[in-house]
Amino acid sequence: MSDLTHEGVAPHPEHESTGVDNRKLGMWVFLSSEFLFFGALITNYLLYSNRGGFPSPYPAEIYDIPFTSVSSFVLLMSSLTMVLAHNAQGRGDENGTRTWLFATAALGSVFLGGQVFEFTEFIVERGMTLSTNPAASAFYVLTGFHGTHVAIGVIMLLSLWGISRRRGGLSEHHGLNLELVGLYWHFVDIIWIVIFTVVYLLSVPPT
Amino acid sequence: MSTDHPTHPPSDEHHPPHPTPSQYWKIAVLLAVLTAIEVALYYIDRQLELGMINSLALLVLAFLKFVIVVGWYMHLRYEKSTLNRLFVSGFILAGSLYLVVLVALGVVAVRGG
Repeated sequence: MSDLTHEGVAPHPEHESTGVDNRKLGMWVFLSSEFLFFGALITNYLLYSNRGGFPSPYPAEIYDIPFTSVSSFVLLMSSLTMVLAHNAQGRGDENGTRTWLFATAALGSVFLGGQVFEFTEFIVERGMTLSTNPAASAFYVLTGFHGTHVAIGVIMLLSLWGISRRRGGLSEHHGLNLELVGLYWHFVDIIWIVIFTVVYLLSVPPT
Repeated sequence: MSTDHPTHPPSDEHHPPHPTPSQYWKIAVLLAVLTAIEVALYYIDRQLELGMINSLALLVLAFLKFVIVVGWYMHLRYEKSTLNRLFVSGFILAGSLYLVVLVALGVVAVRGG
């Protein structure tokens, strides 16, 4: 600290004192809090998923597993395109970065479209609304919050894509931004990995 | 510094270099195969009623996918050990907390039976 006041400038302008850039560390801490948030929502769903005595249908009775499997595959592949964008940026390949960023945003949008379709199907065709039973409420809150996170991720990806199209492209500063957005995007993917298994594949309706 | 060049040298020099694009593709294929196995297990269980074995297998597969994405796509295994320890210890603590809640409220026992 005395060096800082004496010299007038910080010896490490990248802001690190732990060996990890503070912005990246901040993103990991934020994502950890998000893990807790989604952990609580998944636990909430498990508590109510097979609690009987309420009107049907329950989510586990009407899941369309083939459709959700395809959605899961799309989101998994968006993690691949994200990491390829990251890799291309590291190699200075601006065209590759732009292409993979756009592909990631597009795959995220396809996943969101699938979720809108699923919700519409459940509400309009199957009659399972937010207030039909506690399991339905827990399901919509959990998957709705996840979808919101995906939508925020798509907006961040498109913003980066827009910056990359400007003169100068993604500078070194924006390079770290891309890495942070990438961390967020992969987080959204791993939360879905858990939701797909625990909520869709392991869920049992009340007997 | 390394964090501004994400795919350049890793932040901990004792760690291996980040994967190449072809390795990322191979990881994606592995993730897709694991997902396909999960879906297959779901349908097999509907025919054969594997019960607890199916639940355990699905959870193990999901955990594998989780570790692969966090380790390789999020590059956690290439980061400083401080960050690794922070994440792993937090994950274990949080997971234990939710498991205790589920056991205390009888959800895990109901599924196991």
